[in-house]
Amino acid sequence: MDADARRRQLAAAINRVAAGDQAALRLVYAETSAKLFGVCLRILGERSEAEDVLQEVYLTVWRKAASFEESVASPITWLVAIARNRSIDRLRASGSSRASLPIEAAAEVPDPGLSAVERLEIGEDQARLRDCLHELEERQSTAIRAAFLDGFTYDELAAKANVPLGTMKSWIRRGLLKLRTCLER
Amino acid sequence: MSDEDTIGGDDRHDLTAAEYALGVLGAEDRRAVEFRMASEPKFAAEVAFWETRLGGLAEAVPAVVPPTKVWAGIEDRLSASLSPPRERTGFWNSLAFWRTFAIASAGLASASMAGLVYLAQIPSLGPPLLATLDEQSGQPGFLAAANPADGTVTVVPAALLTGALQQSYELWVIPPGGKPHSLGLVDPKRSVKVVVPPELLPHVSADSTLAISIEPVGGSPTGQPTGPVIANGKLASL
Repeated sequence: MDADARRRQLAAAINRVAAGDQAALRLVYAETSAKLFGVCLRILGERSEAEDVLQEVYLTVWRKAASFEESVASPITWLVAIARNRSIDRLRASGSSRASLPIEAAAEVPDPGLSAVERLEIGEDQARLRDCLHELEERQSTAIRAAFLDGFTYDELAAKANVPLGTMKSWIRRGLLKLRTCLER
Repeated sequence: MSDEDTIGGDDRHDLTAAEYALGVLGAEDRRAVEFRMASEPKFAAEVAFWETRLGGLAEAVPAVVPPTKVWAGIEDRLSASLSPPRERTGFWNSLAFWRTFAIASAGLASASMAGLVYLAQIPSLGPPLLATLDEQSGQPGFLAAANPADGTVTVVPAALLTGALQQSYELWVIPPGGKPHSLGLVDPKRSVKVVVPPELLPHVSADSTLAISIEPVGGSPTGQPTGPVIANGKLASL
């Protein structure tokens, strides 16, 4: 199945979930749980926590499916946002410091060897984002990637990069502004 | 930091949405953002913009197949939330009815109609204020009817909520431009009538926002919301 058909099928399944169809939720889970588990695991760094949060993610999908709008977000970015928000909330609630994680780990590039199933189609937005990130200073794009992938706070990012908090905020904020200008072009 | 000075007021506003979507904010700031999303649709759209655009970064994360017990747990929690309402039937208590209604009702106009019908079931209720408490981007999660005359707010779940057992749903009133004040706990499975403390009664008025957040059992330990806001909406008179 090509990426477009896959995306349409997933969107249709989410719409059926909104109507209370549990089998459709099972389908969404089968299609996306490996990706979302990867996202949760990356942020939480601990399997049992990530498993628990993953359950919350799909229960949230069940509850919020009616708010999914195909015209606004692709199904997978909508799901990834839920997985990230749930993981980050869990992380902040636990208050654990993750000083051991190196910031460089976040700069890694997508593995081109991923199978089609693993490379969930994120679409044109993703290619555009990659181009726009390349226009940023390296320290800006590195910090933005690390924040997104690992859920680091400004404080954690500043400590890891060994720069004052204000400097890190400035890097990221200026990076985000440039990114928005580029993404809206 | 001369560069920072070039970021104007409006841009700073919008960057809060980007910072939330990126995930760099601490717990308290995240709750503040969720409250803003609740009352400012434009701001919520800005968060959605960033979540969509930044979402592509997730492609760098390798997929990891979760153990089968995860799905089993989801099914258990789903059926736990589905079966009790089926046992206590009765049209007006039926979550299925409220859920269908919630999906069907787009705005306060239709909500008011159904709200009126519902309120007609409750004897001796004065002229109420109503709110549909929408979930983050659309579907109503709860209906609320405030009766300033007797100082109560009745909260009815409109959506099927599947919360964990170890959490409470806390109701908040937020006057325009003000901070949230707790009105106590509500129940995601049945209607609850909350008695408003006298000092908070002036806040229960048109244009105040009602919101529900997820809190530790027994409610927020800090007096301010500490968990995610799952539903919110503005009070309006009929």
